Amino acid sequence: MIILGIFIWVLLSALIAIILKDKSSIFTKVSSILTLIAIILYSVLRFSSGYAGGFISQTNIALSKSVGIYFSIGVSGFADALLILTGIIFAAAAFVTDRKLYPSSMFMMIMLTEAGMIGLLISRNFLFFYVFWELVLVPVYFIIGKFGGPRKDGVSLKFFVYTHIASIFMLLSIFALYSYYDLQYKVLTFQMSELLQAMQNATFTSALPEIAKYFILFGFVFAFLVKLPSFPVHAWLADSYEQAPYPGTIILAGALSAMGGYGLFGIIFPFGGLIGTAGLDILVGLGLVSIAYFALTAMFQQSMKRMMAYASAASMGFVTLAFASAFLDPLKSENALIVASGGMFQIATHGIIMLLVFASIYYIMLKTGSDRIPSLGGIYRDAPFLSTLLLGGLLASLGLPGLAGFVGEFSIIVGSFPAIGYWIFFLVFGMLITASYHIWAAQKALYGPYNEKLGKISDIGGAPLAMLLLVFVTILILGVFPVLFFGPIQAYAGGII
Amino acid sequence: MTFDTNQLAFYYPMLVLGAAGFIILALGIKRLRSIVYATIAMAAFVVAFILLLMEWYNILPYVASEGMVFNGFGFYFALLFLVASGFITYPALKNIAARSEIFYAMLLFVSVGMIVAAFSYNLITLFISFEAVSIGTYIIAGFHKTKRTLESATKYFFTGTVATAFIIFGLSYFYLSTGTFSLLGHIAVSSTPDMLIALAFLTIGFGFKMAIFPMHQWAIDTYDGTENSVSSFLSTGSKLVAFVIMLKVFIAGFAGLDTYVYVFFAILAVATMTYANISALSQNNLKRLLAYSSVAQAGYLILVLAVVGYAPGTQAADYAIAAGMLYSLVYIFMKGGAFLTMNIIRKDSPSVDDISGLGRKSPGLALAFSIILLSLAGIPLTGGFLAKFFLFLSLVQGGLWWLAVVAILNSAISVFYYFRIMMFMYWRDSKEDSSFDLSVSNRIPVYFSALVVVALFFTFSLFFTILPFAGGVFGGL
Repeated sequence: MIILGIFIWVLLSALIAIILKDKSSIFTKVSSILTLIAIILYSVLRFSSGYAGGFISQTNIALSKSVGIYFSIGVSGFADALLILTGIIFAAAAFVTDRKLYPSSMFMMIMLTEAGMIGLLISRNFLFFYVFWELVLVPVYFIIGKFGGPRKDGVSLKFFVYTHIASIFMLLSIFALYSYYDLQYKVLTFQMSELLQAMQNATFTSALPEIAKYFILFGFVFAFLVKLPSFPVHAWLADSYEQAPYPGTIILAGALSAMGGYGLFGIIFPFGGLIGTAGLDILVGLGLVSIAYFALTAMFQQSMKRMMAYASAASMGFVTLAFASAFLDPLKSENALIVASGGMFQIATHGIIMLLVFASIYYIMLKTGSDRIPSLGGIYRDAPFLSTLLLGGLLASLGLPGLAGFVGEFSIIVGSFPAIGYWIFFLVFGMLITASYHIWAAQKALYGPYNEKLGKISDIGGAPLAMLLLVFVTILILGVFPVLFFGPIQAYAGGII
Repeated sequence: MTFDTNQLAFYYPMLVLGAAGFIILALGIKRLRSIVYATIAMAAFVVAFILLLMEWYNILPYVASEGMVFNGFGFYFALLFLVASGFITYPALKNIAARSEIFYAMLLFVSVGMIVAAFSYNLITLFISFEAVSIGTYIIAGFHKTKRTLESATKYFFTGTVATAFIIFGLSYFYLSTGTFSLLGHIAVSSTPDMLIALAFLTIGFGFKMAIFPMHQWAIDTYDGTENSVSSFLSTGSKLVAFVIMLKVFIAGFAGLDTYVYVFFAILAVATMTYANISALSQNNLKRLLAYSSVAQAGYLILVLAVVGYAPGTQAADYAIAAGMLYSLVYIFMKGGAFLTMNIIRKDSPSVDDISGLGRKSPGLALAFSIILLSLAGIPLTGGFLAKFFLFLSLVQGGLWWLAVVAILNSAISVFYYFRIMMFMYWRDSKEDSSFDLSVSNRIPVYFSALVVVALFFTFSLFFTILPFAGGVFGGL
């Protein structure tokens, strides 16, 4: 019930934010920080000990019993990690939203997106899962379209339609699952627990027509791959990240990128094996190509935002890879557990790292008026704290040991090697490129001779510095004590494998 | 043929509406203010609505003589038609200044025709009620006499009469091969050439009124040219009459045809949706854009026929019909509301650009219109989503995967033009200060429709309440 209370509070906050007008900025900041604290308290209470996989905090409110429409919630260890991520991201996004630049509607959109994210993570009924899945898009569409860069009109529409088409395929899959469940068990239900249970049931799946089975799997996987995004369906990503205002970019990179990963590991993970070896091989291929291709693309970007957008997509390639290789591994259990937990850990930490990177770029943009690498240079001289923090974010993003990014990538490499063999070359190649352009960008933008055209700039201090430091410390802690997230995630994965 | 006096009670709503129509005509001599006529008409609608509800709950369903069947299916649509008529009664006041008594009398007579169409299962009665609706709307369409209105009303009239000819031709073939005009109990219909000709001609005839793809062109001009509340009525009430008649004729009357006939309806639906959505993409005239979207929505409605044709007698067919019923209800408010929103723009033929700055001028109104547009696009938290949800569910259930995919891609295309309107509304500044007429009478219908559209999302069980009535399309109880 605590988690339901948090969800309702966030939803109400969106309403209050628009009513308050002038005070909405301070209200949103306070409200989102309170939400974060509440989520952390909830996690400590429920997940610090005694969690052994599965879903806890389950509540069912029947809305239409005869057809199985319930407002049904439940939280897994993985969803809880993402809930904490969501809390952090939105608190930070509200923090960097300057009240002089944005009207109260912006704050409402931020809180609405957060409500959608939380609702999506806790929903255990497919109808509501889909509703929240779509609902997240609408406020983000408005954030990009109203406050975005010069190409906002086209880009916001592209973002919405691209992801909308993908999620609609998922809706069809849900329908198909619903219909076939009804056909076999004579029960109408949208409850995830029952439908997903059926998909793990051999008698149910073997009675499914082949085409229906692949239709269902395709709809889910396609929707999630677009959201990640993975290689051939990534066209919306860079434009949206670039054109969105900075709070929007932070939300996109930090929170929304976790949606696809949550879909893969939180929804279809229990029956991922049904995809079959051929399909899983394709997924592995997509993951590897994503890692290598996005790294190469990122290397040639001039805009810091675009570069990091591709870097973010490359990290998500690890997630696809982790998902697929968890089922391919011939040894099963041990390796599968490592690689799956690594994938989930990667999803959660990636958001926090992206938050640090994009928030630092935002402050650089504020100080210098540019976020393009060629027009920066040597800003370490005048802004050592800011530069160091951005460097910290970049190092975490490339996977430096000791920081959070390393743990996920390392487990994925170790765990997936038995499954993919020497194809791992692609992965290593991608990581090399990733390391090189991260360092190269830091060198060009932060160090070296100062670009005198920028004039005198000041370092950050006070609240922004504290916020960035806090995020960095979080990354550091997760790098040193990954068990904070790894514990519940592994329990969740272990419960399934 | 005998007339059972027990069934007289079922005709009270129609009598009330008809009598009110004549009273309004008679009062016309006194040249009262328009609002008086509107109030009389509204009162008649309310009384008829209550009477229908009472009959539905108090008296057992009843098969009257000669093809009038008073079942849940009929009652549902009869109520829906009254809602569609009542919905525009007050908003129409704005532009119907001269001779308003004729307008309201016609609206009442049209409603009588619509209710008869909801209950009738005889092709002759259906045809006559359909004509009553058509002739009434020809007159309504001509109101607010500008050159453009007259032109559009004329266009509507001529295409309408052509459609009538097609229907009569189709009816005669239907009679030739079955020997009856009744739609009840045709089990042994076979796919003879006569029957297929009847199918084609009846589709063309009723398709004109419903504005489905190759018969839609008049609708674009007419919806664009007529007064806003009239466009709203033409695209909801009169279109839904055609939809109900098509449901009855093709599902009950042609029940024995081979299932491959579904291909015919599938093609019609796909062509209608795709053509209308793609045309709407490049429209700059706001009312024409809404008109194209209205055509596209007709395509979704036709999907019902495709499912029923493909999987007759299954649960999927029932779901499809019930989804069509739910869709019709939501449709009245989202499409009618969208056309009535045009009232706030002072220009006669508004372009998309003319709605710029509404978000700043009146955030509430912009939000309400956005909700209506989101509903048309089928985004969650609106009734439009729920209606599409069940419609697509029935497609998947019936096994028409490919059609579901096409329909869904279409609904994704439609997002482009609905969102474009929202884009102008929120992110562009208006050019002039006085381009909007934000009077209370213009706002209320918009707020009301938005509210209803959202409320319809939260009534999940409504679909399952009307599901048992879906079988009534065959004229059973």
